[in-house]
This record gives sequence, structure tokens and C-alpha cells, in this order.
Amino acid sequence: MGSYLVKRLGASLLTAMLSSIAVFLVVRAVPGDVVAQMLGQSGGSGSQAEDALRRFFGLNQPLHIQYLDWLGGVLKGDLGQSWVRGQPVTEVVLKAFTVTLQLGLMTLAFATFLGVPLGLIAGLYEGRRVDTAIQAFNILGLSAPVFWLGLILLIAVSSLFSWSPPLIYRSPFVDLSDNLATLILPILSLGILQAAAYSQFTRQCVVGAFSEDYVRTALAKGLPMRVVFSKHILRNIMISLVTFMGLILIQILGGVVVIESLFSLPGLGRLLITAIEARDYPVVQGALLMVVFSALIVNLLVDMLYHVIDPRVRVDS
Amino acid sequence: MHNNCLLSNIRKLGVAAAVAVSALTMTTSAFAQDAKPYGPDPEEEIRGGNLMVGSLVEPPSLDPFHDGSDGRIRVTTLVYQGLFYEAMSGPVPLLAKSYEVSEDGLTYTFNLREGIKFHTGQDMTAADVKYSYDYIRDPDNGSPGAGDYTTVESIEVVDDYTVVFNLDQPNASLPITLGNKYGAVVPAGTFDDPGARAALNRESVGTGPFKISAFETNSYLELTAFEDYWQEGLPYLDAVTYLFMPNNAALLVALRNERIDFAQLGRPQDSQQLKGVDHLNIQRWESLGQKPLDLDSDYGPLQDVRVRQAIALTVDKEEILQASLGGYGTVIHTIPAAMQDTWGVPVEELEFQTRDVERAKELMAEAGYADGVEMDLTTINGYDWMDPAAVTLREQLSEIGITLNIKRVDLGVWIDNFRNHNMGLTFNDWPTLPDPNMLFFRHFHQRPEGADFRNWNNEEASALLREGRSTSDPEKRKEIYAEFQKILDRTVPTIMLFSADIVTVANDKVHNLYQHPTGWYFGLAKTQLEE
Amino acid sequence: MSMQTSPQGQATPTTATMGRSRRVLKRALRFGRREPSFALGLVLTALILSVALFPGLYSQVSPTDIDTTASLQAPSASHWFGTDELGRDIYSRSIHGTRVTLSIVAGSMMISAFFGGLLGVVAGYTGRLTDMMFGRGIDVVLSFPPIILGVIISGVLGPSTTNLVLALSIVYIPSFFRIARSGAISESSRTYVEAARSVGLTGRAILFRHILRNVMPLIMLQYMILFPLVLQIQAALGFLGLGVQPPTPDWGAILEQGKDYILFAPWISLFPGLFIMISALSVTLIGRSLQKRMN
Repeated sequence: MGSYLVKRLGASLLTAMLSSIAVFLVVRAVPGDVVAQMLGQSGGSGSQAEDALRRFFGLNQPLHIQYLDWLGGVLKGDLGQSWVRGQPVTEVVLKAFTVTLQLGLMTLAFATFLGVPLGLIAGLYEGRRVDTAIQAFNILGLSAPVFWLGLILLIAVSSLFSWSPPLIYRSPFVDLSDNLATLILPILSLGILQAAAYSQFTRQCVVGAFSEDYVRTALAKGLPMRVVFSKHILRNIMISLVTFMGLILIQILGGVVVIESLFSLPGLGRLLITAIEARDYPVVQGALLMVVFSALIVNLLVDMLYHVIDPRVRVDS
Repeated sequence: MHNNCLLSNIRKLGVAAAVAVSALTMTTSAFAQDAKPYGPDPEEEIRGGNLMVGSLVEPPSLDPFHDGSDGRIRVTTLVYQGLFYEAMSGPVPLLAKSYEVSEDGLTYTFNLREGIKFHTGQDMTAADVKYSYDYIRDPDNGSPGAGDYTTVESIEVVDDYTVVFNLDQPNASLPITLGNKYGAVVPAGTFDDPGARAALNRESVGTGPFKISAFETNSYLELTAFEDYWQEGLPYLDAVTYLFMPNNAALLVALRNERIDFAQLGRPQDSQQLKGVDHLNIQRWESLGQKPLDLDSDYGPLQDVRVRQAIALTVDKEEILQASLGGYGTVIHTIPAAMQDTWGVPVEELEFQTRDVERAKELMAEAGYADGVEMDLTTINGYDWMDPAAVTLREQLSEIGITLNIKRVDLGVWIDNFRNHNMGLTFNDWPTLPDPNMLFFRHFHQRPEGADFRNWNNEEASALLREGRSTSDPEKRKEIYAEFQKILDRTVPTIMLFSADIVTVANDKVHNLYQHPTGWYFGLAKTQLEE
Repeated sequence: MSMQTSPQGQATPTTATMGRSRRVLKRALRFGRREPSFALGLVLTALILSVALFPGLYSQVSPTDIDTTASLQAPSASHWFGTDELGRDIYSRSIHGTRVTLSIVAGSMMISAFFGGLLGVVAGYTGRLTDMMFGRGIDVVLSFPPIILGVIISGVLGPSTTNLVLALSIVYIPSFFRIARSGAISESSRTYVEAARSVGLTGRAILFRHILRNVMPLIMLQYMILFPLVLQIQAALGFLGLGVQPPTPDWGAILEQGKDYILFAPWISLFPGLFIMISALSVTLIGRSLQKRMN
């Protein structure tokens, strides 16, 4: 397992490296740069002011020098400064990441506590009416566009209760109730989709387990359903459920962009969008790096968990 | 009605004189109100409170020297101050007390107000004024405002409260240039520290009624009252908090549920969606902004002036206004609505401003496009009015055989096109100041003095613009700009469509609200909030 | 939604065909009872396809004609789903948007399925260096959140429907790559392939084709599973203003425009959203039934 993890880690780092180059090149390929944005409609290109600003941001340097400069900083843990605001990128990105992480983890919790029980029930009562109802929920949940759901929730809550979420995100450690009030609608709009996905997956696992020999044997031996379920089925599908949890978390972290924009949350997704709009390269690079790294870490964690729970797992399956 | 011309014609003047003279030409009350910096004084004394303002625009930064975006200008007008305030009737002294102009128009002597403190606690003197304007006009410092100061040759400190600007050619617009748009008076040496630019986003160094207390990316900006502010009694509010919201729906819902007290609507017609909500006051304000269709003289069929004229004759501005703003605005021709009476040319004297599709068809045929032609129309993502306007325009131009392909780009791409003089046919959206030189020069003068991103390259018009800038006699100035507008009309580098009304929505706890026609938040310096 | 609507029901009424069509109908009914969700999926898909292919059958009103005197009207007999701010008929726009939206989603997915599938099979079959190189490249694409990747690619390429298709196809190449690769790996370790290799059969091309044929169903299944997701991303990009250019009707674009009127005219947003849901639903239903069968 040790050598596998080393290999895995190496591959992840290589990916991160390649991604950072891709990030670096791709953000620069979008037409227009921060200098144009700052000068706006004030004059033509090639002006003295433009050259001055380009020098200030180091945009006059060759690309590979710019990249190496940046990479050198990253290796030292310094992501540079925002070109627009001048704040340290590390600080900006971490602040935004905590918002997204909280949203992500709470959505994951919501999806797990709603999705897994629903999936278990549906799997146990396969083919019955309750199964059909849960499946209907799953399919509908998977089909509704997240932002559309969010918009409809916002309007519905506003017109029914004359209430809308507070507009400033406060850390849960500062003001918990305010924090939860801000996040409740975004969690619901993101969570329904993920709960549906989780529930569907869980159901499949349970149904699959029932067709396995050990379950059939256990049931044939006359073991009560309750025991078979908790002793055999649940224990065996646990690994899959945990793995899926990681997948969902990655999906949530990648999918928050629109929801954060809709609900004015200062998270990583919105930061990325606004930084791309402002052509604030250091922030875009830092934020994307954060996204890439968190996905890598979650993947690694899931892998390790996988190995811990079930050492038989083949490395390349 | 030529208040700003009158102003520059008077050799020595203070606020009182400006009011007295101008009162002759405008209704007294309107002018007296307008000429007061930051709007009319309140009738009652209400103090305190934190005003929650919803905003669809987040300022990229709060640096008045290096950030040319309108989003930045809107809020920093409460934090930083120039020598003058941009009243509709012309520049009104703000940090300056009064000024004198030499006979030849080349020397401006400004007498500064005494007892003004910066947010840093220092006293403001002439040395700070010289430093600030020297900094902005040096192109090496990369300020978008530098282009407005090309006529300034040098700035001299006479004594602590007197500063002289020497020009190399007369510039009748100098006082309004010294307003609150780009730059401001900051303590001498502010930018000596390389980290100073970034620091401006955390702490302000201006003289304005509010100072910056918190600025959180994608979240909010909090301004708090400056306790040593020089204008007696101002501001009334303890604090102003701008909450940045990414879409209209969220803004409207927040207004309705009292999460915010005040907002300028992104689309004036959205006020219909708030009608009947008891606690909200909806007000319409005149605007200096204008929304044109710009035509690049180097772009495909637009190279032929007849095609541009044909488009001008086919556009139905009223219909586009209806479609894109629900009619909340005023159709214009060659100048924004708020300046039409003062500087405009009557529409009867303009040749291509009245719809005439038959004549347009003839022009298209003459240009060799009788069988029709295709063009791209660029709109900007996030400018909500442009999409419906584009679709409506597309229908209209199809009448004369023009097929428009609508291309929506993000603002960064659009600005890039702009700076590369590669605009094609596009909608544009610009605010301005109530001065014809500020309105026209930068946009329409040939390069390199002006931006001329429409590749108009019109010698005759540029000569008029230079003449207008150096002329201080109001009658003559008006003639020059009228002539200029007729060239605009004939050669169609732009088709000005309409000025949108500014619509504000405020909770009824908000008192003494005033909205400046630029769309900037000047008025909040005198706004009050009932607890 | 009734199950009896079988297209064969309209055949010419000769006795022979009557008998045949009745038999077909009977079989369809039996099928519907045995696999209700599959049947529902098929019926919905058929309905959606007919809307996409022949929008004129469902709406004679132009989706782009503007009439500013009839703006923002609530649903009524003359405008079933109401009108937008330009007085355009939302029902007609939703109907005509079906073809636009679905062809973008289906088309871009076909491109990603083709390239992802091909690269995946090659990587899985040849293994080693190729696999490693492709794998890293795919990982890089995968490390970007889909919407962000879409935003950046649309920004780089500029706004047009073609570029939107390109952006979406790049985003989903990895998903197909992975499926195809693991399929190819397990196929090429099968005994007959091993056997063929061991006897020195040089028909690499034949083998390759053989593997491809066996991987195909996996790719098709993945296509169906991903379809609702891609539809979501397409709509989300439209919602961010990066999708189809006006005045072309597209569900995401209608939603984007409708969000500004959400308090006043919610119908603009409601109906295209439901269309998206129904399309996603129908493909999911079929995909899941197929998946069940393949297992």
C-alpha cells in the first residue's frame, strides 16, 4: 500500500504541476488584460500609461519568466498579490475557500442524511410503492437545473414568508444563526440534486448486495432480515458509500459557481468568476490551484480510506 | 442656461457669486439646490444609522488614481474630493474656495479652503494639491485620468493655501477636470511607498465625508463617517454599507424584505416589480448617461458613410427604448438629455435624426447593398438593456436589408476591442460630466489626443473640438459645439439612442435622498436614516 | 401521460395491418406494464424528438417576432406560457428552443464521446506510455470545475454556438475517456484477446476494432447518464450569459433573461425550466432501464 500511495501522490503532484501550467496559459488566452480593464475607455493602446501599468504588473516579461516567478512563489507558499486589490492572494483564496468548504460540507451532510436513508429504504423495499416514490424523487432531483431550483426557492420563500437570506456572509464562529440563515437556501438548492444522486447510488448498492451469494446464503439460513441488513449488507456497501461521498464533495466544490453567484456568497466559485472578469491573473491562478488541490486531496483521502477499509481492492480497477 | 460658461467668464468668484450670477438664468430654487455640493440640505435633523445600499456593481478597487471604472468612481466620490464639485450648472468650488483666471486663460490661481483634514489626520495644504495633480498627470504613473491634463504645463505652490496651474493652451474645462472623477487631493508623498496602491483598498487617505472601514471581496464595502470632516454637520449617517449583489432578482427580493434600505436599479423598469410594496419609495431621476450605437468607420460596410446614414435613418429609438428600458428614459440625438437645452441642436436642424426608411433604402442601394448585407453587432454580457435593444435593432435594420448577427462578449473582451480600435458595430454605455469638452473630446478627437475608437478620424471635427476647449466665451462655445454636433449627425460615427432615467428605490426610513445625474453616490453625504 | 400512444396506431386501416398494429399495440401495452419507467422514458423521448424535429407542428407563432405592445403578458389562451419583455411568445420560444438546446447538448456530447472514447480505447489497449500521457492530459482537464472551464473556453474562443459546443465537448471528454479506457483494459485482458496475442496474430487493427465494438455500449450508457448533467451545464452557461446568442431561442438563454423578471413574470423562467427537467427525465429513465438490463 505504501508504494501505491507514493505512486498515487506522485501522479497527483504531476497533475497539479501540469494543471498549474494549463491554468497559467489559459487565463492569459482570454482577450483583454488587467491593464485594459483599469484604463477602460480612457485612451488608445500603446499609450505611456499602458506601458507603465504593464511594467508594474510584470506583463512585459516573457511568459516563461512570468510562470517561473509565479511558480517560485507558489513553492514558497506565496501566491502573489491581487492585481486589482493588492491583497495577498493566499489570504483572499483561503477566505473564499472557507465559505465554499462550509457550503460544501453542509450540503454533503444534507445529501448524506437525506440521500442514504432514502436509498436504503428504496433498496430494501425494491419494487414496492415506497421504492417508486423515492425513485421518482431521485430522478426529478437529478433533472432540475440547480440554479433554476435556487431561483424558485428564493422567490417562493420571499413571497410566502417575506423573508430572504442575510446578505453578508458571517463566519459560523462569529454569528452561527446568521451564518445558517445565509446558507440554508443555497444548501437546499445544491443538496437536493446531490441527495438524489446519493439516494440512487445507495439503492443500487443495496439491490446489488441482495443478489450476492453471501446475502442469499444468510437469508436462506434463516437469519432475520434485520441482522442480515446490519451485519452483512450495510458493512459491505459501506466502502462504496464512502467513496461516493468523496465524489459528491468534489462535484459540489466544482458546482457552486452558479449558486454562489445567485445567492451573493463570497465563495471560491464567485471569486473565480469575478477574477476572470477582472483578468486578475494571480487570483484566478490561486483560486484554481486551490480547487485542483482540494479535489486531489479528497481523491487521495478516499483512496486511502478505500485501502484501510478493504485491503483487497485492486489498484488498477 | 449657460451656467458653466458664465462661470468661466467671471474672473474671480466664490460660491455666493456663482449662485447669484447663475440665478439669473435658471429658476432660483432649482439652481440653489443643485449648486450645493452633495445635494439639497435636509429640513430636519436626523443623525446616525448605517444605511444598507444594494449594488449590482462591485468596484474593482478603491484607488481613485489608477482605477478608471465607473463602479469605483460611484463610491469613492464619498471618500475622496477634488477642488470642484460637478453640479449640473457647472463646477462648484469644493476643496477650492475660489479661483482666478488670467486674461489669456493660461494661468489658474486656486485659493484653497483652510482647516481641511485628511482621513490620516494631517491638514491639507497647497503642497498636497500640487503633489496629487502632478501625480495624476504624469503618464508614467498609469492613471486613466492623465489624458485630461495634457494642457497643464506646471503646478506651483504659492503659499499654504494658494496653488497655481500653468497651461500651455487655454482649457475652459479645467475646473471640472479638477472634480471627483479621476484622482483627488491626497497627502503629499502618498505613493512613495510601493504598497500604497494596495493599501488604498483598506484605508482611505482622502478628505471626503466618509472613510473606508472594511472592503470584503464579493461581499460588502463599509464606509464610516469621518469625524473631522470639514463641512459643518456632514455626514448625517454613521455609516454606509454597500452590499454587492450579482443579479437583479436578488436585489429586488432584498429590497422587498428590507435587507437593504436603498438601491439604484440596474434596470429602471424593474421598479414595476416593486410597485405596491408599502415601505418602498420609488423615484426617477434625470441622468447624464447615454446609450449609443457606435459605428466603426473601418468596419466592413460601415466604411461607406451612406450605410451609416441609412442605419441612422432606420433606427427607431422610441421602440428600442420601450423594449430595453420599458420606456424609462428620453430619446436623444447628438447630446445627452440633461444637456440638450444648454448645448444641444434642435432636431429639426439635424438631417439624419428623423426616421425615413425609404431614403435609407435608397442610400443602401447607392452604396451597392441593394441586395442586403450582413454585419456583427457586439453587446456586452451583463449590460441588461443591450440584449433586448439588439434584438429590436435587428428587426428594424432587416427592413433595409441588413442582417445583424448578435455577438455577446464579456466586458474585458469589449474593452480590449475598444483599445485595439476594433469595435465594429456595437452598443456602448457611458456616463459623462455636464460639459461638452468632457463629453466629446476624449471620445471623438483624432488619435493620439483622443481615443477615437470608432476610427472616425475626422479632421474638421477635431479642429472644432480643439477650438471649443480653448474658447471661454459661452455663445461662441455653443456655436462651435453645435457645428460639431451637425458633423456627428452627417457622418454618423455614433447614433445616440437615449438617456436612461436613474431609478432609485429606498425604504421609507430613508430621508433627504438626492441622486446625482452621473449615477455617483454623492447624495449619501446628506442622506438621513430614521431609526 | 398515457402509455397507449403508439405511433403505429395511425397505420392504414386494412385488415392485415389492423391486426398487426393491434398486436404491436398489445405488445407495447404489455411492455409498458412490465417496465413502466422505460416505457415512459421512450414515450417522452419520442415526444421531445418530435418537438425538436418538427417544432412547426406544435407552434405556428414565430419565436423571434417581437411585439412591444404585448410585453410581459401572463399565460393566456393566446399565449399559453405568456410573453417576455419584447412580447415574444414563451411557448413558441420554448418549443423552438428544444431543437437548439438539445442539438447543442447531443452534438457536443457526441464529439466528446467520439474523442474521449477513441483516446480511452487507445490508452487502455496500448497501455504504458500512451496511457500515462493521455491520462495526465485528461487529469488536467478534469481538474477544472466544468463551469469554470466552460467560462474560460467561451472567453478564449469568443461567443458563438459553435464555440459553446466546443467548450462543452472539451469539458466532457474525460468522462468518456475513463469509461472507454477501463472498458478497453478489461476487454484486452480477456482470454480470447490474450489467446490471439499469444499465437502471434498480427491483426492488431481487427483486435482494436473488436475492443471498440465491445466498449461501444459502455460509451452509449455513459452518454445517457451524462446527458442530464450536460444539459444542466449548458443551461448554467446560458444563465451566465455565455450560451447561445440572441435572438435564437435556447432554454438556458430564456432562463437567463427571465431571471430579471422573476417577481413580475415568473412564467418566463418556469416553463423552460420544466422543459429542461422533462428532457433530462426522459433520457435518465431510458438510461437507467438500459443499465439495469446490462447488469
